[in-house]
Amino acid sequence: MNTGLNRTKWEPYVWLLPSILLIAIFVVFPILIVFKLSFSEISKAGVIGGFIGFDNYVEAVHLPAFKTVMLNTLWWVLSVVILSTLLGFIIAMVLNQKFHGQKIARAIMVFPWATSLVIQASVWNYIIKAEYGNLNNVLLNLGIIRQAINWRSSYQIEFVWECWVGIFVTVPFVTFCVLSGLQSIDGSLYEAATMDGAGFWHKLRHITLPMVRPSLTVSTVLNIIYVFNSFPIVYTMTKGAPAHKTDTMITYLYMLSFYERKKGPATALSVIGFLILCVCAGIYMMTVMRKEEEL
Amino acid sequence: MKKKLFALFLIAALMLCMIPAAFAADDEITLDVIICQYGPNTNEWFLGKGMDGSNFVEKFEAANPGIKLNLDVVSWNDVYTEVDTRIANNNAPDILNIDVFANYANEGLLLPVKDYCPDDLFADFFPSFIDQSIIDDTCWAVPDLASARALFYNVDILNEVGVEVPTTWAELQDVSQAIIDFYDGEIYPWGIDMTTDEGQAAFAYYTWGNGGGFVDANGDWAVNSPENVEAIEYAISLVNDGYTNPNPATQTRYDLQDMFAAGKLAMVIAPNQLPTYVADKGGEINMATAGLPANEGKASSSVGVMDRVMAFKDDSAPDQAARNEAIGKFLKFFYDPENYVGWVSMEGFLPAVNSAVEALVAADPSFEAWLDVLGGCQFYPTAKAEWDQVKQGVIAAEQNALTGADVQAELDKLQAELTK
Repeated sequence: MNTGLNRTKWEPYVWLLPSILLIAIFVVFPILIVFKLSFSEISKAGVIGGFIGFDNYVEAVHLPAFKTVMLNTLWWVLSVVILSTLLGFIIAMVLNQKFHGQKIARAIMVFPWATSLVIQASVWNYIIKAEYGNLNNVLLNLGIIRQAINWRSSYQIEFVWECWVGIFVTVPFVTFCVLSGLQSIDGSLYEAATMDGAGFWHKLRHITLPMVRPSLTVSTVLNIIYVFNSFPIVYTMTKGAPAHKTDTMITYLYMLSFYERKKGPATALSVIGFLILCVCAGIYMMTVMRKEEEL
Repeated sequence: MKKKLFALFLIAALMLCMIPAAFAADDEITLDVIICQYGPNTNEWFLGKGMDGSNFVEKFEAANPGIKLNLDVVSWNDVYTEVDTRIANNNAPDILNIDVFANYANEGLLLPVKDYCPDDLFADFFPSFIDQSIIDDTCWAVPDLASARALFYNVDILNEVGVEVPTTWAELQDVSQAIIDFYDGEIYPWGIDMTTDEGQAAFAYYTWGNGGGFVDANGDWAVNSPENVEAIEYAISLVNDGYTNPNPATQTRYDLQDMFAAGKLAMVIAPNQLPTYVADKGGEINMATAGLPANEGKASSSVGVMDRVMAFKDDSAPDQAARNEAIGKFLKFFYDPENYVGWVSMEGFLPAVNSAVEALVAADPSFEAWLDVLGGCQFYPTAKAEWDQVKQGVIAAEQNALTGADVQAELDKLQAELTK
């Protein structure tokens, strides 16, 4: 009997062991290495030297582009996450209605999500190319414009395009998260609300939103992490040019490490990014979980 | 029982895997080699069937028993990441083909060339190329190939507009304005690339054409000289006056070459491989070459770009002399005219050794003119330890200037960083 009890105590850990080992090797260990590197001297060629305290962090925050990059990252994450959540929610509401071609519409929504980000960014690069881009071609052929327009006439506009591509590729994920939440709502709730005289906005506020909140929580937290860490869009479209004015933190630390060969500050920045993400995700999760408990 | 059998099978499989290592000859040397991907044929030539139905590795190993090559062809986009990661993990390649070398040499990672390169081969390299790889009287790398930049122009466009190819900056402005007027802005007169890929080349084109440059007569950094400031201000004015492609900070040389191949760009500074590139793209451009325009009264100067082969130290190698000899054999085989001529001409580059010139010129007489251009080229000061910083610094200065920053202030800032 005793043996059986003991076995039930340790058996779950044995089953968990392979997963724990994998996480330790492929997640925890690299994170620890990056932490160690951020406190180490690293030469231009990549040779790792001794402990230098917070020197890499001090150098990183004093880099001329640091402030611009941090602000860009903030705008990038906020605009992509908020707008894609809003658009994804609206599209999910539409796709949840019954209409002809509903399945086709849902399948089309998957395409941007199923395509790699590098291809998406490259395609958008071609679309907005001033010289022979599709957008200019269409507008010229329709007679809407008489001369090709430079759709990337300033770095601010280029950054807006990067955000737009970020939104475009993120919307499908939000849509399907919300759609799964919407499909789990019992239709009788809406029937009862309709009988009580509730209108669209009332039902949205008091039934739909509370019921899809768990799905939205998951999609938002994951999106914050994905978008913050997203590299391909910015790198493919502008490589952070001009002079890091369209860089986000992830592309900047790559350029810093492999173009400018400032590997120490680059590792320090990656640790700063990791900590920012931990704090953001933690605060958001705690806030949402507290609200759910209150409900 | 089944589990025991499975375990036995695993052990047997592991032992079988170890057999090749156990039977490997004690004196066999394996060289880790990284080659940069210059074009679509590089991989085929080194690893596929692009060398008379065979490849470099197979032919080398057949000709040099006891030496194995573990050769990777890596794209230029990834090579720095791969090499730096390998160095950080104490796993540097034995032989590396790349453009820069000063960081590796200054950090004591490279073998001096004299330790492994046979004397007759060393004497075969163009001396002006070897000079670019010397730090403190020691040569740390050998050139593998070169390319020279020239002004390519669309003959039909210039004829139609009725202008001559410009030789001075003032003429360039006049010709550009004429092209704009004639085509109502449909064709860009002048191509300019200030991206993180090649912004340093733009800096060289204009500053060398104004008597300036990266360094002064003593070889010290002089990025903020009055000539340089004037040159970059001139380049930026071309952009602001609408004479160039619209987005020089994000449009790379390849974008410009595509525009040129499509007849959308009238003039572009490009390497000698441009005709091959345009033909590969299916373009049929009536093109000709000319010297780079310079400021009034200043000499025109072309830009030479050279890549290198270098060998890393490996203190763990049991027999250093045998390893050095193996590296030397690799170089001898690579630069053997029978192999090297095919390699250089395949991607349309220019050679780095005298012994290849005759065969190349015989195969393609246009090489001779390019070899003359190459003889008068200036090269980037890549042997200086701060080159990476300077390269990124001048690109940042140009890109900031494109957004309205003061060129003098930007270059002063960079110079101050270099001399502090």
